[in-house]
Amino acid sequence: MFKRILVANRGEIALRILRACRELGVETVAVFSEADRGAAYLELADEAYCIGPPKAAESYLKIDRVISAAEIGNVQAIHPGYGFLAENAHFAEICRSCEIEFIGPSHEAMALVGDKNAARKLAKQVNVPTVPGSDGLVEGEAQAVSLAHELGFPVLIKAAAGGGGRGMRVALNDLALKSAIQQAQAEAEAAFGNAEIYLEKYVEHPRHVEVQVIADRHGNAVHLFERDCTMQRRHQKLVEESPAPLLDENTRAEMCEAAVRLIRAADYTNAGTVEFIVDPSGNYYFIELNARIQVEHPVTELVTGIDLIKAQLLVASGEKLPFAQGDVKPQGASIECRINAEDSEKNFRPTPGTISRFRVPGGFGVRFDSHVHEGYVVSPYYDSMIGKLLVHQPTRAEAIACMKRALAEMRVEGVKTTIPMHQKILDHAAFNESRVDTTFIERTWPS
Amino acid sequence: MKESSPTNQDIFDVRKIRRLVEMMKAHDLSEIDLQQGEVRIQLRRPQPCFQQSFVPQPPNPALAAPMKQEAVAEPAVPPRADAGIMIKSPMVGTFYAAPDPESPPFVKVGDHVGPDTIVCIVEAMKVFNQIPAEVSGRITAVLVENGSSVEFGQPLFKIEAGG
Repeated sequence: MFKRILVANRGEIALRILRACRELGVETVAVFSEADRGAAYLELADEAYCIGPPKAAESYLKIDRVISAAEIGNVQAIHPGYGFLAENAHFAEICRSCEIEFIGPSHEAMALVGDKNAARKLAKQVNVPTVPGSDGLVEGEAQAVSLAHELGFPVLIKAAAGGGGRGMRVALNDLALKSAIQQAQAEAEAAFGNAEIYLEKYVEHPRHVEVQVIADRHGNAVHLFERDCTMQRRHQKLVEESPAPLLDENTRAEMCEAAVRLIRAADYTNAGTVEFIVDPSGNYYFIELNARIQVEHPVTELVTGIDLIKAQLLVASGEKLPFAQGDVKPQGASIECRINAEDSEKNFRPTPGTISRFRVPGGFGVRFDSHVHEGYVVSPYYDSMIGKLLVHQPTRAEAIACMKRALAEMRVEGVKTTIPMHQKILDHAAFNESRVDTTFIERTWPS
Repeated sequence: MKESSPTNQDIFDVRKIRRLVEMMKAHDLSEIDLQQGEVRIQLRRPQPCFQQSFVPQPPNPALAAPMKQEAVAEPAVPPRADAGIMIKSPMVGTFYAAPDPESPPFVKVGDHVGPDTIVCIVEAMKVFNQIPAEVSGRITAVLVENGSSVEFGQPLFKIEAGG
């Protein structure tokens, strides 16, 4: 196990990692921007260094400063959290060339799965179903049009360098397709520095189901079952749960095995998430592999009882996974609500400000992961998430009741939150009966 | 807080105090206690009385400078060029006062520097970065020890500008 690591992130995930390290006896070095100076969670770290002004691009994303902090902090490894540099293969490579372990996959595996088109090809090679689409990149308009006719409209144009819902456009007909291709390429070039695109059939009314995986460097690869993240708004997840409701047992088993097959083929180590969409007929299709620990990882921790951050540290320090596939036995149902400082009645506008009152829920089966407290200043520089509220109960119905109760207990004053939105979702019959798809929130509560 | 305030002959900056009061009202704060070096401002509501403690500096020809605020989402007020200021580290790394262990330090207290004068080295990732003063003035204090770690924004030298 490492003696000391650096946490290259902020907020709730930094706190999460600091906690796991404390329990393992691993010393920690935190980094912070001037906007996060004095944040309470930094007190959990053994050392903390300021790495720049508030803007992420001038602080948390500054590779040289993060590495310098790692050097003066004398750490053996860096945990990148999620977002920021977590899926930056260049950063992972620099860490290793500075003889600092990167807590995540190898930069080669990261680069491979980061190329969505390459990941799709790999999936096909190991018989992981993919959405019908182009065989590789789309080279020209004519090719795209003829393929779209084969697949049938609507089609989805996707950026090879995109991901997480970015760099996608739907086209309903030839004309739309032609202009969408040009726009998609321009946007991809601007956003990712890479204009490569591919085409997929647009699956309508999909559910989003992802599989948590983890692999060590001794050839052990394990899945920790699935999470359903269908409740999204503009590709941002709001509510996640496990197990995925109404998922056929055979389908579940197949998807989980497919996920493991895929990460073996990619030589992928440490934690990752394999994302699928499931159509109304129950067909599942691989979408992308997220090469990082995810925001909603606690959902899986609650149903499996396995600490994923500790597992990441163990794997990165060269140890074997402390559990085999047969040891992973999910129990009960878990739900997570992402609480954001946003006004759900004003188009989810972020509402930075000072939290004047913060009452946190508790009780049997409630977990609240948050770096926020009374007096905390929610700044405008970073994402607006102020906490993750999770519940774990023997059945889904009980989990829903528990979450409603916990949400009703929460008091947040000084900023607006998405708590009212979550309450609406949990009260909605469609959610309770799992008659939802990824467009549900936008259709039911249009801006 | 790591920054020290410059010499301040302007005891009341009424605009700043008014802004603080407005912020207190807006966020329903009952108390603000700000300290910067030897200067401290304490504001309490709802009693309309302001307390301020101030430790006077020895007489100094430099003119008063506005205090840099650490308030939420407010841009930093840049120090006026004719006042005492800080040279801060633009990077994270290890501070070296001299070009090499055998040489004398780049600067010492009392030295005059110009914007391009190299005042120290901050080493990071095996690269020895020479740090220029970026202001003109006289070094009045060296704030970090040779070989110590420095973070972004950490004050390295106190400088009386204009000299």
